[in-house]
Amino acid sequence: MAEWVCRALRDGSLEGEHAPALTIKDSISSAFGFDAFTHVLCSMVSNIIAGKSQARGVVLAVFDKSPSFYVDLLKRRTISVVSLDKWIRILDCYSDPLGWKDGSTESVNPIVTIYKDVRDLDKLFSSIVGLGKGMVDQGKVRFSVAIDSASVILRHASLSSVAGLVTNLRSHDHVSCLFWLIHSDLQEARATAVLEYTSSMVASLEPMVLSTEKSIFSLEQNSRKGKFHVRTKRRNGRVKIMCEEYHVEQGDINFKESSGNENLNQNLLPKLQFNLQLSEKELADRKNVVLPFEHQGDGQTIEIYDGRRSLPTVQHDLMTSEKLCTETEHGKGEIHYLRDSDDERPDSDEDPDDDLDI
Amino acid sequence: MLIPGLKPGPNGTTFISTGIPDLDKILGGGFALGSLVMVMEDAEAPHHLLLLRNFMSQGVIHNQPLLYTCPSRDPRAFLGTLPCPIVSKEDKSASIDQEKEKGLKIAWQYKKYFVENQHGSENNRGMFVLRIFTYTRKEYCNEFDLRKPLERHLLSAQHIGSISMQDSPNLSSLQERCSTFLDQIPRNEGSVGNAGRIAIQSFCAPQCGYSDKEWDMLFFISSLKSMVRDSHSVVMITFPPSLLSQSLSTRWQHMADTLLSVRAIPDEDKDLGKLLTGYQDMIGLLHVHKVAQINTQVPVIFEASTFSIKLQRRRSLVLERLNQAPVDGSSGTSYNTGSSCSSSSKTSAFDF
Repeated sequence: MAEWVCRALRDGSLEGEHAPALTIKDSISSAFGFDAFTHVLCSMVSNIIAGKSQARGVVLAVFDKSPSFYVDLLKRRTISVVSLDKWIRILDCYSDPLGWKDGSTESVNPIVTIYKDVRDLDKLFSSIVGLGKGMVDQGKVRFSVAIDSASVILRHASLSSVAGLVTNLRSHDHVSCLFWLIHSDLQEARATAVLEYTSSMVASLEPMVLSTEKSIFSLEQNSRKGKFHVRTKRRNGRVKIMCEEYHVEQGDINFKESSGNENLNQNLLPKLQFNLQLSEKELADRKNVVLPFEHQGDGQTIEIYDGRRSLPTVQHDLMTSEKLCTETEHGKGEIHYLRDSDDERPDSDEDPDDDLDI
Repeated sequence: MLIPGLKPGPNGTTFISTGIPDLDKILGGGFALGSLVMVMEDAEAPHHLLLLRNFMSQGVIHNQPLLYTCPSRDPRAFLGTLPCPIVSKEDKSASIDQEKEKGLKIAWQYKKYFVENQHGSENNRGMFVLRIFTYTRKEYCNEFDLRKPLERHLLSAQHIGSISMQDSPNLSSLQERCSTFLDQIPRNEGSVGNAGRIAIQSFCAPQCGYSDKEWDMLFFISSLKSMVRDSHSVVMITFPPSLLSQSLSTRWQHMADTLLSVRAIPDEDKDLGKLLTGYQDMIGLLHVHKVAQINTQVPVIFEASTFSIKLQRRRSLVLERLNQAPVDGSSGTSYNTGSSCSSSSKTSAFDF
């Protein structure tokens, strides 16, 4: 699932289509969205360095953590010793987002550019695109964009301008893919809905156990692991839903197959009036039922109880009109059983319909 | 006598085609002129675009004036994706050169094109008239091939206009444009002129500047509805209700004359595959909430109101009733007999 998402981002966009966009969503009850974001970011960078992805570089707009944090993280996580100059540019909206500090706008690290005007999203858009184009060669080469935290942008700018920024990035010719992190409980539900509307994949981190009361047990359960739900909008108009578990240890996040049985689409299926499927036990019982026919289909003829011999164990359950009632006491009477099949005469030439008087 | 593309309906209304033959049948003829059609989008699927494309293409084919607006910067790009009508086999052998026909049996259907020489003689010498078929079809509703785009020259006609709403801070420009468009197609009591179509895509899309001005949008829709009543046109608006507040969404739904909604379906869902026949071909669901009642008090009662959207042979849109296993009567809405699981157990915000 997480791998699937990373692969979808790696493959990027087709000509004439909007770039795939991923929203990573978390909340306070499963607050590991940032780990998921860094996981996706590192996987993107590794793919770029290895040359497997459509994008040739990534522009990272940081709002929540300092750029040096990311530089250290990438140096630690990516195995390659190649310097990061060629693959990444960081737009630093963390150090001085509103332009309060005087002083030079040059930063120490050449890959980091300081941005001082978070409220102007048009300028942000052109800075991101400018950095991206500057990093990759001219022509048809694309780059991917990562936004550290959309929740922070929403603090400074209106929802419609953020939606406009994302849509413009998605429809830009040089953007291969786009992903961002959002904390769903930091803004209104409508803002989260809008960002999900503009993205093509939504990955949400949810707690293992949904707890209404904040019991210590559930807090403990949710403190290190949870569920990773992904909803993808596919090209054919269907929605692909995937789910797995994630586990956080030592600052790294691991994903594994979901162990529990999940019925993801419970609200789509109605309750059926009758159950058409048989359980295992019911299937076994069905095999053991003796049908009330003389020929059971297994080559043996059934012996019909005639009141004299003791009951064979097989035949104790079914009686039909063909068999007469049994009498367990002997000496009281005899039972003469005449089969109906004995009664049949061979077909005569008479046509029974001749009797009808129409 | 009516212009092709218009059909008289009950109670003195006139219908224009939706562009999808199945939908015309479901709605009882098509969209009534003077009505406001609203389509509720699903945030996860682009099926409303299929409805829009067929609606707009049908208008272009019938030479009906068209106004299109969308929240992206380049509305012409969408116009380039309008589908082309499927030409049936009979028309293909139509335009044949008369010169080549002398003494030759052309195609197996050539006898159809004889106007004179009824005696079936073999005299082919230039006395018969061939009917040449052009694109202005006499049919009311065409089937469209979604894989082939419409010819460019049809889209550059004068009467096809488009505007982009992405950078507009308010709705005044759109309102003006719509009102000039509708003024050109007035409703006259006597003659029936050509009909017009307005298509508004994703009306409350978040990137538009006016999208948080709830009352402005509401006012716009109500004024548009009153303008279209006096005009010989149909307006189709699509909007994603998940991005609106509950009260606003309900108000808009009440304003619509004809209300449809499209729904996404999950991919590779085994349970759903067992429940619905033909699941593999389905791409989504369409639900008809209400149909315009113009000049009448009698409501339209449906046998079934939810349909599956399928692409037949990957090119034409087909709507089918859902076939499914019997549902527990106590949970679903008992009035919709034969309707699908989605209407009974999904969000009841749409039911009213």
